[in-house]
Amino acid sequence: MAERVPYEEGYFTVPADPGEAPRLLGTRCRACGEHFYPRRVVCARCLSDDVEPVLLGPRGTLYTHTFLHAVGFGEHKSKLQGYPAGQVDLTEGPRVQAVLSGRAGDFRIGMPMELVLETVAQDKDGRDVVMYRFRPVA
Amino acid sequence: MEDVVVLGTGMHRFGIWKPVPLATLARDAGRAALADAGISFGDVGAAWVGHMHAPPMAAVSMMKEFGLTGLPVTRVENASATGSVAFREAWLAVATGQVDVAMALGVEKFTDLKFDAGGRRRIDATILPVGFFAMWATRRMHERGTRPEHLARVAAKNWNHGALNPMSHRQPDHTITPEEVLASQMIAEPLTAMMCCPVDDGAACAILARADVARRLAPDRPQVHVKASVLRTETYTKGHTFLGAVVGPSQMTADTARAAYQQAGIGPEDVSVVHVHDAFAIEELEYYELLGFCRPGDAEGMVERGDTTIGGRIPFSTDGGLLARGHPGGPTGLAQIHETVLQLRGTAGKRQVEDARVGLCHMVGGGSVAIVTILARD
Repeated sequence: MAERVPYEEGYFTVPADPGEAPRLLGTRCRACGEHFYPRRVVCARCLSDDVEPVLLGPRGTLYTHTFLHAVGFGEHKSKLQGYPAGQVDLTEGPRVQAVLSGRAGDFRIGMPMELVLETVAQDKDGRDVVMYRFRPVA
Repeated sequence: MEDVVVLGTGMHRFGIWKPVPLATLARDAGRAALADAGISFGDVGAAWVGHMHAPPMAAVSMMKEFGLTGLPVTRVENASATGSVAFREAWLAVATGQVDVAMALGVEKFTDLKFDAGGRRRIDATILPVGFFAMWATRRMHERGTRPEHLARVAAKNWNHGALNPMSHRQPDHTITPEEVLASQMIAEPLTAMMCCPVDDGAACAILARADVARRLAPDRPQVHVKASVLRTETYTKGHTFLGAVVGPSQMTADTARAAYQQAGIGPEDVSVVHVHDAFAIEELEYYELLGFCRPGDAEGMVERGDTTIGGRIPFSTDGGLLARGHPGGPTGLAQIHETVLQLRGTAGKRQVEDARVGLCHMVGGGSVAIVTILARD
């Protein structure tokens, strides 16, 4: 299996074991307990800068979703039949908007979801460029 | 604060104007507003140019179309709310006594933009605005039992309003039915193409003046007063999505409207005509509630009763809204001001709302911001 690199650094883990779920790189406020994704140096809720980095996910609940038939931008561009997108409330609290993994009709509000990595491109060194998606928990 | 009036407004019709230079669009709208105000550009003390996708110097250089009088010119940008914010800055300058007369000019050419992968290869650029608002619709259908037919009826209404407006991009030659809206191409479920605003070029302009100056310059014209202008950004609330979302939870619109009603000393029951950021049909439905025109859960009832059609209880988007009149970005908020002024003067022709006294304009902008402006006639 090719080496895997993240679509963009600083947002999620890429575990060495492809069977392991990725985590999102988040922040927890030590003063008020609120969790955030992506990372922050100041709590958006109470403005404290007493914050710590945490790993978020991989589980959450589907808050809403759609299926885009229009093409997207960049390497997410859909050449064929569009792609599903959704917002997932992570177990720790933050709501994350992301492309979903699956087909139209696979999704219901309130269903349990989990993070997964999918290859979106190959870089010039032949490595897999991976991005996180949410998919229904099997 | 001084009493400020909108002395004149003007537009270049929104639409696809590929061969027309940006400065020409701006010049046409600005000169129409100056003519409507009955003043010379030499009377304008300061100008704000609302332009989203501006290269350096664009705002200052396009203002030379009107003449070189030395006036201060400032470009503003707040995404879709850009034109509304230009209006607010011009209002503040007059209201605080800095100048007697100010110009707010919005201009944009979406057909000049290149949405290639290069500028958008960011982790949060994967889900288009239409996808974001489609997710509002999915959620509301889950919570409130909204049906795609409700969204189709909002869209059909605004298309049909647009048919009555010579400044509207979309001027259908037949009555648009909800069935036709539902049958158009699916873009992002449940939103079809006709439930989405078009891509646009265009320009719009407003001239603001202190009320006593306006009375001297245009003694015979009914005065349209600025009663409130409130601009807010997000307050952190649960469910705020930092990456990819166009706006946060819709509390921002409710908070902004409440502050604007307070500033104007009125309530929604006093408003005669409303314009909102109806870029997607689901938005107008949500704003019925968030702006206080019905209780939560009754927006679908508003649609079923035809409350927001011209002739209904509280007409929304009489000029066609973003869905029909169009949404070039920079000038959109100023087109709302233009229509509202026509309505309050009683010169909106076939679109006229009977005895219109108070108009409310609402825009949101990605990032995100909300702005509510309230205008009232004498």
